Amino acid sequence: MVKVVDKSLKDRELWVTASPSTLLQLAFMLAPLCLLLMITFQVTQFFQVTWVWNLDTWTDVFTTGYYWSILLVTLKMAGLCVLLCFIISFPIAYGLATRFKAFENHIKVLMIFAFMTDIVLKTYGWVIVFDDSGVINWILRGTGIVGPDWINGLVFSQFATMVGMIYNLIAFMIFTIYLSVLNIDRDLIEASYDCGAGKFRTFWEVTLPLCRPGIWAGCLLVFVLSMGVYLEEKLMGGGNEPMMGHLIHQTFGTRVNWPLGSALTVVLMVVALVVLLIFIRIYRFDKYTATR
Amino acid sequence: MSWHQIEKWLVNILLYGSMAAILTFFYIPIFTMIAFSFKETNYMIFPFGGFSLQWYVKLFEHVDFYNAISNSFLIAFFTMIIATTLGTITALAWVRYRFKLRSVFQSINLLPIIFPQLILGIMLLLWFSVLGNVFEFNTGIVTVIIGHVVYLTPFAMVVVSVQIHAFDDTLEDAARDAGATIWQVYRDVTLPLIWPGVFSAGIFVFLLSWGNFYITFYLNGGARTIPTFVFAGLTQGSIPIYPALATLVFIPGIILVAVAEHYRRRALARL
Repeated sequence: MVKVVDKSLKDRELWVTASPSTLLQLAFMLAPLCLLLMITFQVTQFFQVTWVWNLDTWTDVFTTGYYWSILLVTLKMAGLCVLLCFIISFPIAYGLATRFKAFENHIKVLMIFAFMTDIVLKTYGWVIVFDDSGVINWILRGTGIVGPDWINGLVFSQFATMVGMIYNLIAFMIFTIYLSVLNIDRDLIEASYDCGAGKFRTFWEVTLPLCRPGIWAGCLLVFVLSMGVYLEEKLMGGGNEPMMGHLIHQTFGTRVNWPLGSALTVVLMVVALVVLLIFIRIYRFDKYTATR
Repeated sequence: MSWHQIEKWLVNILLYGSMAAILTFFYIPIFTMIAFSFKETNYMIFPFGGFSLQWYVKLFEHVDFYNAISNSFLIAFFTMIIATTLGTITALAWVRYRFKLRSVFQSINLLPIIFPQLILGIMLLLWFSVLGNVFEFNTGIVTVIIGHVVYLTPFAMVVVSVQIHAFDDTLEDAARDAGATIWQVYRDVTLPLIWPGVFSAGIFVFLLSWGNFYITFYLNGGARTIPTFVFAGLTQGSIPIYPALATLVFIPGIILVAVAEHYRRRALARL
């Protein structure tokens, strides 16, 4: 293990190591964020942003119900995505950490590859699978479960979008939970067995509470990232039920209305932030009750 | 059979079964794409008639394909060099130093990971168009590289941090006692010891940059990479060369991941 050293802010080594990427993030992350906020108070004329400070864009945002209904759809999809990702990935992460000693690393390689490879090609792969003349329908028709003219209606639906979102985001949940399961002290579980608790009770009262940091981190990551989904919804959902990502993309790309697009982005970020703060609030409370 | 045994049995079924299910789930679209690359027909219909390699031939005849490959490679290569270097340097401060404002430093340097890439891409597009008006440049390969570096430096930092956590810094003390300067210690002791982490971080950054869609999509100007090339084709109507392209992208990808993981694991086991 490496020692952690206290450094004063005047230390040169600290500056050399800590400042380059901090400067990078200030210049290309926080500065654009400020610009985004400023642009929401401008107007657009002839597809150009004109620097006149006013609140027109914000009145538009708050009076158009359509934007808020899309936001609601996005929130619902993101919430469902978090829930499903958690339910699916918990047994996987737990099993990966406790059961697959011989194959653990092979499985990790397979998962990392599936997570890292080209997102457009993977998503398109799902379209081919779900399509009416695709793989699923071929299997269903071939086994005689459905008639030859049956149309599954899977592709270009919200269901397809959800599958795409889970597919592209679940790795974040699996790996955060996996790390927290790895960190559990086996002795605590043994102690619980020695005290006469069964497998289920030990899981519920010892293992699960000890995994909480990983679960919260995973939920948080998946939630925030699923708020900004566009590709899955466009390719697999067919753009029939637009989400915020689609709306924002359209406002910037097709309508070339930068102030409105920026304002919608800000709305999305603020909503995500509020949910995040609630998350953190519950987490604190949760930690308090857990350590009581 | 006692209740205890049944319980154990059920838990094992759940754990092994869910693992098998998720791996199948992960590889359904990937294998479907690979299978479709050998089809004979023009359409994306399953089952496809016979076996043929005509789509590979068509792909290699496609002019934009070479352009996209070389752009993707250039971007991924430079992103890998810059983001891995920055990530390694940052990881040193992240793991080893405790200082005032450390939490500010940490949140600034982790922010891009918890940011939807779509929003990051749009923000940078706005920023570059304002900067471009002042300094007179257009978005292109360079802006894509900057965007990827912003997004991927935190990833590199996280991967390298794991390696730094595990390494034995008494070796550094020994080098210092033997009279090495700060720079010599970093070059001859620290860097070789954390190198496996740096190396696998580099591979991961390369792959994530290669497969990145959102940031490239907004910042590329006219320069197309593989993901944006495919996306443009798909929105105009499905063209049957993409499965062949996918197969060519997947195979080196999985080899790189396997190499990176193998290297990293062996190094961690040795420490």
